[in-house]
Amino acid sequence: MAAAALAVSLIVAPSAQAQAQSTPAQAPNAKTQEPAKAAPKLAGKPDFTGVWDRAPPPVQPNPRTASGSPASPNGPQFAGAAPPIKPEFKAAYDAEVKRLADAEQRGEPTTSQNTMCLPQGMPAMMLAIFPMEVVQTPKQVTIIEEAFTQIRRLYIGEDPPQVEDAEPGFYGHTGAKWDGDTLVAETVGIKTNVLYRNVPHSENLRIHERLKMIDADHFEDEITYTDPQYLTGPWTWKWAYQRRNGYKMLEYVCEDNREFADPVTGQQRMRFKTKTDNKQ
Amino acid sequence: MKAANWARRMPVLVLIALGVSAASAAWAHHSFAMYDNEHQIKLKGKVTDFQWTNPHVYIELDGVDQYGESKDVKSWVIECANPGILDRIGWKFNMIHKGDEITAIVAPLRSGEPGALLKLVTLADGKQFGNGAPAGPALIQ
Repeated sequence: MAAAALAVSLIVAPSAQAQAQSTPAQAPNAKTQEPAKAAPKLAGKPDFTGVWDRAPPPVQPNPRTASGSPASPNGPQFAGAAPPIKPEFKAAYDAEVKRLADAEQRGEPTTSQNTMCLPQGMPAMMLAIFPMEVVQTPKQVTIIEEAFTQIRRLYIGEDPPQVEDAEPGFYGHTGAKWDGDTLVAETVGIKTNVLYRNVPHSENLRIHERLKMIDADHFEDEITYTDPQYLTGPWTWKWAYQRRNGYKMLEYVCEDNREFADPVTGQQRMRFKTKTDNKQ
Repeated sequence: MKAANWARRMPVLVLIALGVSAASAAWAHHSFAMYDNEHQIKLKGKVTDFQWTNPHVYIELDGVDQYGESKDVKSWVIECANPGILDRIGWKFNMIHKGDEITAIVAPLRSGEPGALLKLVTLADGKQFGNGAPAGPALIQ
């Protein structure tokens, strides 16, 4: 316990120091409890620019506990309500979730799009499993997720395209507007095979977001998923993020995944040679 | 736990604490269920390759299971977390080299193939590194 406590204190101290140093413009508020610092501004609006972590992080316990593994649709990182799937699609959805969870419990996990080195797409990239950088200008917010180098662009002052004009992709097309100090974004054009929590969706999926700075070092994203074909109504949850001072984003090229799907069983297996196997 | 054991485990606990606190997001990109976490083994041997790539870093090792009945050397592939997770808990891309003598506590594949998930590696100079929060801690010494 002593060792663990020591380790924690070693981490907390430099981080608090870094935060104090990064905001020299703030008036010192000695003696009293320091109030939360206001969010920085850009052109009169909150500025989301910076590197962020999910807070609290999407931590998973032991992969083989009943609460699910990182890849499991029931995993604890997927906070929020259950998806309101229409009754005619619910049985198939439940069966698929059970099949994946059972395989996990047997120690025979199935593969996912991640196994194939495919990015998560929207909205899963906003899980921010690794650090996430936001770069804001008056007309655009660009979000870069370190995992898989996923990038999306929110065009401020624009509407999203009509669905029939929106070329389907992993991240879709996003228009955004300010509602006071909240950035309200609307995304269309997510490929129907890019799934979040295995929930089926049509080309009419719309992802509505309300991005709001809480204080200088925290923001939240309230996400609402609507699809008149598969869902009975809106499906809403909220993710919060905390500033990670001084971090420089790393590159992420999914270069050589040695997990692969067994062509017969579909189970996840390990490949023992490198992809190119150009050694010797 | 005896005092001597406790002392020996101290660096491990520190590393685990570091891993948990420093991990920006303790989330793996795939399931670890194909590894047998409850029957960890300790491998000792010579590094034949150290591959610093996404989505995983790999250590290839010609090693022997220290507590196993067989003393045969097998060629193991040991999966580590990704460069980002490992960087953030203090690893460096060039800290392991071909020919290094290392010890690794791992969770082996359930299939019986010589593949495993790293829990704790001890380098030639005695330094120990965990494999980040998603991979979980070593349960043996």
